[in-house]
Amino acid sequence: MRRYTYLWLMQMVTGVLIAVLLGIHMVMQHLEDILRFFGVNLNDPASWNSMIERSRQAIWAGIYIALLAVVLYHALNGLRNVILELTPSARTERVVTRAILAFGIIVFAWASYVPIALLSR
Amino acid sequence: MDTQKTEQITFRVRRYDPEKGTNPHFQEFTVPSGRGMTVLDGLIYIKENLDSTIAFRTSCRMAICGSCGMLINNYPHLACHTQIEEFHSNRLTLKPLPNFPVIKDLVVDLIPFFEIHKSIKPYVLRNDSEEMENPTAEFGQSHQALESFLQFTYCIKCGICISACPTSASDKLFHGPQALAQCYRYCADNRDAGEPERFPVVGTDHGVWHCHLAGACSESCPKGVDPALAIQLLKRRLVSRTLGLGKKEPPASIAPQPAQAKPKLPFPEFTVKQS
Amino acid sequence: MRQIRPRPNYLGVGGWVWAGNYKLERYLYILHRVTGLGILLFLLVHLIVTTFFRIQGQAVWDSAMRFLSNPFFKTGEYLVAVAFVFHALNGLRLILQELGFLMAKPIPPIYPYSDSLRKKRPWTMAIIGIIMVLCLVFFYDFIVGGW
Repeated sequence: MRRYTYLWLMQMVTGVLIAVLLGIHMVMQHLEDILRFFGVNLNDPASWNSMIERSRQAIWAGIYIALLAVVLYHALNGLRNVILELTPSARTERVVTRAILAFGIIVFAWASYVPIALLSR
Repeated sequence: MDTQKTEQITFRVRRYDPEKGTNPHFQEFTVPSGRGMTVLDGLIYIKENLDSTIAFRTSCRMAICGSCGMLINNYPHLACHTQIEEFHSNRLTLKPLPNFPVIKDLVVDLIPFFEIHKSIKPYVLRNDSEEMENPTAEFGQSHQALESFLQFTYCIKCGICISACPTSASDKLFHGPQALAQCYRYCADNRDAGEPERFPVVGTDHGVWHCHLAGACSESCPKGVDPALAIQLLKRRLVSRTLGLGKKEPPASIAPQPAQAKPKLPFPEFTVKQS
Repeated sequence: MRQIRPRPNYLGVGGWVWAGNYKLERYLYILHRVTGLGILLFLLVHLIVTTFFRIQGQAVWDSAMRFLSNPFFKTGEYLVAVAFVFHALNGLRLILQELGFLMAKPIPPIYPYSDSLRKKRPWTMAIIGIIMVLCLVFFYDFIVGGW
């Protein structure tokens, strides 16, 4: 009972964290006009130069890894809930949970290696 | 307004007879209906005059027993509580309640539903067995304490909320809004101390945490019980117990006897003399 | 007497979407689920672009950006932004309501019955209003190309 309650609570907590971090990511990547209105000038965040400059700063690597962790937890837990609502067999539930856990760990390991590797380039 | 005016309403009923082994199919009946006639009146007319093999459950005909739940024009209603006139159409489609196994025609199997209801222990649980076996006085429950769960006691166990719930449509192990709301009704009752026994049953993946607040259960409940509210309050209780927040109040104790005993009335005289 | 086996009658996944004439909150629930799964699919593609293509150097990155500045992909990105806005704000509403904060108090039912979600419908409409405003803001940025 405690385990399931914590899983749900983490879903809510990561949801709020994503709303903040992904909000920053969205505003930064796309709403440059609004930011320019407020005096913050980013030069075309999707261009190579701007991106390389950001990838050398540790704070952005940290934010991206944190965002990746919370998004992976929230999305894969949500996917697991949707799949479990379709399959009543206990064996399928165990298989699905382990597959999603393995997938999540692999993706997190690879996608957090990249910003750290780019820090030094 | 001419109250004698009758219209011919077409009842399209989904028939299924397991003993004949045919697939479910629709059969149409024409029923004369007037003002104030309910769908149940129409079904009884069909059974008495048109086809006596049609099967449906009915008992009280006044929306208190919960027997006659069925899908009328694709929405779950109690047949005795639904006027034919409210559909503004002379064509009604009647199907058995979804998310329950069908026994015959409009009769569904409610035994799994009652088994799940029993599994959440729908009775007051306390630790003082002496008082429960030999009660000396009533338990103290203020009006405010009663109001906090009174709404959820009006459940008539008709099963309509489970037909409306989208999670119950695909998850066969889900307890359903009725059982979860009744679990809250007993946990919120201040006479009850049974939370440690009930929470491991409902606090699982296929219990409370698969409810995602679609709200269809409360919308379709014919008695206004609002199971969605009960389930969210149950989630709140589960979270606060797990995190250790909030005070845990002890269950209600015996109400104190009044200081001044009321005078006993004399026993009346026998009206029939005993010889 | 021969034992009758009742015939199963589940609506299945269809019961998530088309089960009858229900009100707003049931459709917000299914939209929340659809947007969540949609964002998950976008996330996998996005991770491939920002890891494999980024680490291979400027040429690969610039050609990927040119490929993705096609209006078809821009519209897709706008849909993902809209999905994120809806999922986030509806999710905030769900967090509040599932913990019982934006829900009405239990009262004895008096006919005509009104459930607590319907009583708090003004809050839901306010959140949908904020979602619409943010959709317009993102529309100007993605589709029209900024002010």
